[in-house]
Amino acid sequence: MAPGRWPTVKWVLLEAALVVVIGALFAFAANQVSPRGLALTRNYFPAGTGRLVPATPLATLPHNATSTNSMAVTPAQLLAAELKEKGLQLVDGSQAVRFFHDPRFRQDIVVFVDARDEQHYREGHIPGAYEFDPYRPEKYFSAVLPVCKAAEQIVVYCNGGDCDDSETAAILLRDVGIVNQKLLVYGGGITEWTTNGLPVEMGGRNSGDLRNSSK
Amino acid sequence: MKTSRTSRSRTAADISAVLARWLLGAVFLYMGLSKALHPVDFLKLVRQYDLVQSSLLLNSIAAALPWFEIFCGLLLLAGVAVRGAALTLMLMLVPFTVLVFHRALAIRAALDIPFCAVKFDCGCGTGVVFICRKLLENFLLIMLSGWLLAGYGRQFSLRFDLIKSHPRQGETEEILVSSPDDRD
Repeated sequence: MAPGRWPTVKWVLLEAALVVVIGALFAFAANQVSPRGLALTRNYFPAGTGRLVPATPLATLPHNATSTNSMAVTPAQLLAAELKEKGLQLVDGSQAVRFFHDPRFRQDIVVFVDARDEQHYREGHIPGAYEFDPYRPEKYFSAVLPVCKAAEQIVVYCNGGDCDDSETAAILLRDVGIVNQKLLVYGGGITEWTTNGLPVEMGGRNSGDLRNSSK
Repeated sequence: MKTSRTSRSRTAADISAVLARWLLGAVFLYMGLSKALHPVDFLKLVRQYDLVQSSLLLNSIAAALPWFEIFCGLLLLAGVAVRGAALTLMLMLVPFTVLVFHRALAIRAALDIPFCAVKFDCGCGTGVVFICRKLLENFLLIMLSGWLLAGYGRQFSLRFDLIKSHPRQGETEEILVSSPDDRD
C-alpha cells in the first residue's frame, strides 16, 4: 500500500466502524419499538434443538440411533422417542382423527391446539382448534390456559414434517402447569391432515367456514 | 476526440456505479424488511445454523440483523457513508456466504443429491432458493460492494464520505485522488 493511501483507508475503516455502531443502536431500538420485535431475554425454544426427523434421512443418523435388533426404525418411531425424552407423547393421523370424532371433543374435554402463527391459523386449521402461537404466548394464554387446564387430553400440532413448534407449544403449556400426561403431539400436523382430505376451518375458531381439503 | 470518448465512458461508469449503489441498497432494504416483518421466522432460520448456544445472543442476532440491513440499505440509497456501508456489507456477506455454503454441503451429504439441486431457506430474506443461485447472487453483491468501496457511485449521494479527512501538508493530493470519481 502506498504510504499516502493509508489516511484514506483509515477514514474508511473509521466510517465503517461508525456505521456498525450507529447501525447496531438503530437496529436494537427498532426491534424494541416494533410491535413484532423479539424479546431478547426470552427463550423461544424451550424444547431445545430443532427436530431431526423426518427431515433428516435415516442414513445420516448415528448407527446406534437407527438400528435396534437390526430392524430399521421409522422416522415416526424416532420422533416418538425424541418426544418421550421430553415427556411428551406422539399421536399419529388415525389417532388424531379419532380424537376429532370423539364426543368429548365437542365438550372441550379433548382439545386441539394449533401451534402455528395467526396467518397460517386463519388460512385453515383443524375445526375447533385453539390458536396458540408459542412465540407470542402472552397473546393466547388467557384463552387457552383455562381450556387446557379443564381438558383431559390436548392434541398440539403445527405444520408437521420438520416443524417443531408443536413441541415448543406443548413444553410451554407444561411449564405453566398443564399436566404432562395430557399433552399429545400430532406429528403429521396440518399437512398430513389436509393431505388426508379432512375438513379445515377458515378464519377464527368456530367461524363456521368449513372446507374440505382436497386429497 | 479521445478526450470525448474517455469522458463518455466515464459518464457511463458513473451512472452504472450509481445504479449499482441503488440496486445494492434496494436489495438490502428488501431483504431486511422481509426479515424484520417476520422476526420469529428469521429467528428459527438463524437457529438452524447452530451458531450460538445462548438464547440471548441468538435473539440479539435475529432481532438486530434485519434492521441493520435496512439501515445499510438506506445509507446506500441516500448515498451517506457509502464506503463505510459497503465495507460493512462486504464483511457481513463473506461469512454469511461461507455459512450458507457449509449448510448446503451438509444438506447435499444428507440427501445425497447434486450440489446445485440443494435448495433451502437460508434466512437471507428471499425464501427457498437453489444454492448455486444464492451463491451467485452473494458473489455479485460482494462485487458490487467492492465497487462502491473503491469509491465509485459518488453522484447523487447526500454525503458520500461521512468523515471528511483533514489531510496534513503533502497528503492532500493523495487523499483527494483516492476516489476514482475524483480522478482525471
